[in-house]
Amino acid sequence: MREKKTYFVVIVALFALLSAWQSSGQIVCADVEIVSDPGDRADFVFDSFSKYLSGITFHGIANVNVKVDDQLPANPNCKWMLLMTVENNPSGGTAADEWETLATYGTGTTSPPKIDILDVRITNACSTSPVDGVYQNFNLAGDIIEIIENTGIRINAGSCTTNVNGPGSYLTNYDEFHFQIDFRITPGFTYNPGIYQLQVKFELAEVP
Amino acid sequence: MKRRILMLVVIGMVFGLQGVFAQLQDEKSVTVTMDLQPILQLDMETADQIEFVFDDIKDYYAGITKYGATILKVSSTVSWDLYAVGRSNGTTGAEFWDQVIDYGSGSGTNSINELPLSAVELHQSQPNNGAAGAGITATYIDYSTPFPASNVHNGANSLYVNNGTLTPPTVADKYIAGHSGTTALGDDAMTGGSYLTAGGYTSDYYYVIDYRLLPGLPAIFPNAFDADAATAEDLVTANGADSYAEPGVYTMYVQYVLVEDQ
Repeated sequence: MREKKTYFVVIVALFALLSAWQSSGQIVCADVEIVSDPGDRADFVFDSFSKYLSGITFHGIANVNVKVDDQLPANPNCKWMLLMTVENNPSGGTAADEWETLATYGTGTTSPPKIDILDVRITNACSTSPVDGVYQNFNLAGDIIEIIENTGIRINAGSCTTNVNGPGSYLTNYDEFHFQIDFRITPGFTYNPGIYQLQVKFELAEVP
Repeated sequence: MKRRILMLVVIGMVFGLQGVFAQLQDEKSVTVTMDLQPILQLDMETADQIEFVFDDIKDYYAGITKYGATILKVSSTVSWDLYAVGRSNGTTGAEFWDQVIDYGSGSGTNSINELPLSAVELHQSQPNNGAAGAGITATYIDYSTPFPASNVHNGANSLYVNNGTLTPPTVADKYIAGHSGTTALGDDAMTGGSYLTAGGYTSDYYYVIDYRLLPGLPAIFPNAFDADAATAEDLVTANGADSYAEPGVYTMYVQYVLVEDQ
């Protein structure tokens, strides 16, 4: 009877140890951090006809600097992904495909602008993003654009190729861990005049 | 003892499950604000003054036409309406031309110096493609009808006048583009855009305006009509038989108004 109890305790202890090991196994990097503050505000003011026609582009309105520290000893599973998403304050009643309305001018009867008029371009020197250099659009609030994809394969810093996602830093591998963000808007003539707002979020996460 | 074991199991599982969901992450955001300011821009090419000098009997009979005297070019970021309204300083009345000079004694028994502003006739090069709504009751929705022969009087081109004000026309009046109401684009509004990008002089953003003044003989201005095109405002109808325009110099102005659809 006592032996059975002893076995049972050992099994429980092993289970707890296994769980604890699994727990530490999910944290594969020591730290992930977007160092720079990518945003103050990007204010697009359309106050002339030529701006409506040609649009406004802000180059480098946001700079995302990534820093991912490996564990000690190094963990070969430490890799990361970088996402971009958009929010429009849906709890305030904003439709999923529209900008949040802060104020309207006049008594126009058309609709607020659609989210898809915001063009976003990501670039870095090594073109590590699969969407590097090509303007992207969101259609609905919550849509995600993957800047660095979760491919399940680790590509080490220094490779200077697509989807570099190993540990590293913009300080040591600037061409791979620094992303310049450009915003462009060409509103056209179909939307109500007013002041509108969107929030673009950059999310960095480790992936086991 | 069993309870202690069970406790250990539960604690172990809780720690284990916590571990499954752990993930290092960070996020930053940028706020994008867009200020869409309304722009309504009406570019006009015209002479400072358009003069009609009636010094020949055939001019009285046939009238004088000034082709392409005004070119209107629209650029708008919002839905819009464009209309013309006849105005004066009101020295002889709110809806009449101002008499600047009175030739001769000016005291003929039936001579009238109250010339109606609606005697001015307009013709626009492009039809109004923003007035298809069912609620519009105007006999003539715009000024696109060609000037009729000098012996035909129907009010198709008579200028909109509203008691000397620039109040927008109603559903019974003429617009150059768009119309009264806010039902829908095409029904009573024109879509935002510009003559710069929409095809130039053949587009809905570019209007060449012709002017005609037809005094007739006697000079009663038979093409002066109210907005309904049925109420004549010629001098005989307004003042009685044998009335005629007092010779002199008269002035008035045509105001072109570009507004957001409303």
